[in-house]
Amino acid sequence: MKKLRKFFAVGFAVLIVYLSTFPVYAGETLPYITYNYDFRNNIVYTPAAYVPEKSISGVNMGEGVGVFNNPQGLFVDESGLVYVADTGNNRIVVLNSQMSQALEIIDTFENNGAADTFSGPYGVCVSANNELYIADTGNFRVVVLTNEPGKAHEFVRVIENPQSDLLGENFSFAPLRITVDYADRVYCVVRGMFQGLMVFEGNDFTGFFGTIEVTVSAWQKFWRFFSTKEQRANQILFIPTEFTGVDMDDEGFVYASHLSPNANGQQAVRRLNPKGEDVIKKGVNNHVGGDLQLGEGFSDFSGPSNFIDIAVRDKGIYSLLDSKRGRVFTYDYEGNILYIFGGLGTQAGTFRVPSAIDTYGDKIYVLDAYRGEVQIFKETNYGNLINEAVSLRFDGDETLAVEKWRQVLKYDENFELANTGIGKSYLTAGENELAMNFLQLGMNRDYYSIAFKRFRNEILENNLSIVFTVGLALIIAFAAHSIIKRWRKPTDDEGGVWGD
Amino acid sequence: MTKKISFLFYLLSHPIAGYYELRHRNEGSVFLALIMVALFSLSFSLNRIYASFIVNNLDPRSVDSVRELAAVFLLFVLLCVGNWSITCLMEGEGRMKDIFTAVGYALTPMVLLTLPATLVSRFIGAYEEVFYYVLLAFAVVWTLILLMIGIMTIHNYTFGKTLVTLGLTFISMIIIIFLAALLVDLINQLYGFIYSIYMELLFRG
Repeated sequence: MKKLRKFFAVGFAVLIVYLSTFPVYAGETLPYITYNYDFRNNIVYTPAAYVPEKSISGVNMGEGVGVFNNPQGLFVDESGLVYVADTGNNRIVVLNSQMSQALEIIDTFENNGAADTFSGPYGVCVSANNELYIADTGNFRVVVLTNEPGKAHEFVRVIENPQSDLLGENFSFAPLRITVDYADRVYCVVRGMFQGLMVFEGNDFTGFFGTIEVTVSAWQKFWRFFSTKEQRANQILFIPTEFTGVDMDDEGFVYASHLSPNANGQQAVRRLNPKGEDVIKKGVNNHVGGDLQLGEGFSDFSGPSNFIDIAVRDKGIYSLLDSKRGRVFTYDYEGNILYIFGGLGTQAGTFRVPSAIDTYGDKIYVLDAYRGEVQIFKETNYGNLINEAVSLRFDGDETLAVEKWRQVLKYDENFELANTGIGKSYLTAGENELAMNFLQLGMNRDYYSIAFKRFRNEILENNLSIVFTVGLALIIAFAAHSIIKRWRKPTDDEGGVWGD
Repeated sequence: MTKKISFLFYLLSHPIAGYYELRHRNEGSVFLALIMVALFSLSFSLNRIYASFIVNNLDPRSVDSVRELAAVFLLFVLLCVGNWSITCLMEGEGRMKDIFTAVGYALTPMVLLTLPATLVSRFIGAYEEVFYYVLLAFAVVWTLILLMIGIMTIHNYTFGKTLVTLGLTFISMIIIIFLAALLVDLINQLYGFIYSIYMELLFRG
């Protein structure tokens, strides 16, 4: 008995020493789960592409900044300066690129000789011509200021009170989020505006942009036909959804996130060409609306993702912020989900009420309106490899991307995009059999078929002589057999009823 | 048994004469019919698991062949019982045994063609799916024709009457399912009642 106890004691000690030598991975201490969706819309858990670096609140920013009050807008300009629309405090706070210090606080400006202030500024944006656009929501206008570094912001112009036959009598122009193209056209997400983004050239309203059509299914029409007037009044209205966030890529295409128009959440982001048509690609899952598995029932956490803002990044990559489950979804230019991270909570790296997202370099900034904080996420090696591989593929360097995809597979061997990427490069190199294996792992039907057909032709070409010889021999043998059979036994075993 | 099996293949190509013999000369075998149903279920599961991902949207991990076997047998019995209960009232000449055999034998084309189709699916790429689907469609159509002729012949019905009977068969199947669900629910309630009395006695005693 004593021996046994001793044995266990030693064993236990060895076990403790053994376990303590295991390294602790950052992934085990993350406050959120990171996952992706496969070809069949199943959840696949992945390593973290982004990990929380730090969280910044106004109090850390030096003298006179204080606590952010319900901040709603976030913009990072080309030099990395961060503009926070501190909505509740009626001001714009500009932070340095390390986000360690507030460079300036814009709360007043000179408007035609008189001092003017903001009222609940919701969105902020810096144009390509280096002008600061502020959606001054409470004053129903967009204010444009100069934005020269080291100089005071001077008043340029103001966009307010748009006039058009398209707008109703009691229309009040409450801009929420804005983006500006190279020609200083302003694209505005406006509160309660279902007709699309409002576009301004100069100070004039020129029209709506990217209107979301309402789709009514035949089933809904059927039920509507049979319902009474009172019932119809209580049914959901078939009105288009509102846009929630807007951003612009280098080519001048406007990306706009919106609430999902239907319950399956298939699409909640649009890429609008200059004519205002949606040209987004929806990837292998035919889905650009966040989560594919939506949870059951009618709780706050079920249903389609609720995109609140969008950040367009380099090489066609864009990230979307979901306010329902507090997650950040990143897609490539083909609409495939690259990685998902983030969650609701009170720990660092999670959100209470996420309100805006933007990126700079290898960082993703998410603004939290409730906590008045900016959460900073830094890309991991895994995230970096994916970003680089997708960028290389976007530029057409599939062969260079392969090396990155291989390294991605070391972290996550189920990543279908990586398998497809490697398969495609083998296909280009003429290694059809290897290409088939990888493309099947990547569940890419079209490219797999190309590889397969080439492989099949290869085999046929190499073995055609054998196939023909064997086939010919078989035919001759069969013919000879039947001739001999007929010659030997010329009876009639044809026709007749069974068993007769 | 060899004779029964070779009769099965005779029936495939001569359905009208074959089903007549099956009804009136005892050429059919219920055992063989049940084997055909089991084989059908097996080939169905194999198709779902092994068909190439070009034509197969299913996750092979989600296929449970034992459960499918049970489901296929249940449907088979349901169809036969439903048909029997209708044809009994509509002057059908077929016995229970004949119905089982007729339906089981009618599944043979599916058994014979599903596996080759599955095999073919592994040698095709995109835009060549038609080879696979033609095979499957051929099997389904052949099975439906056999089923139709089988029911018609063993009950000595006209074509129109067969169609009506088949429609009524489906209704009777639904009624059977409904009654079975009702019965299960009632038994559950009875069990719950007795169990609560038992628990009550236990607590008081």
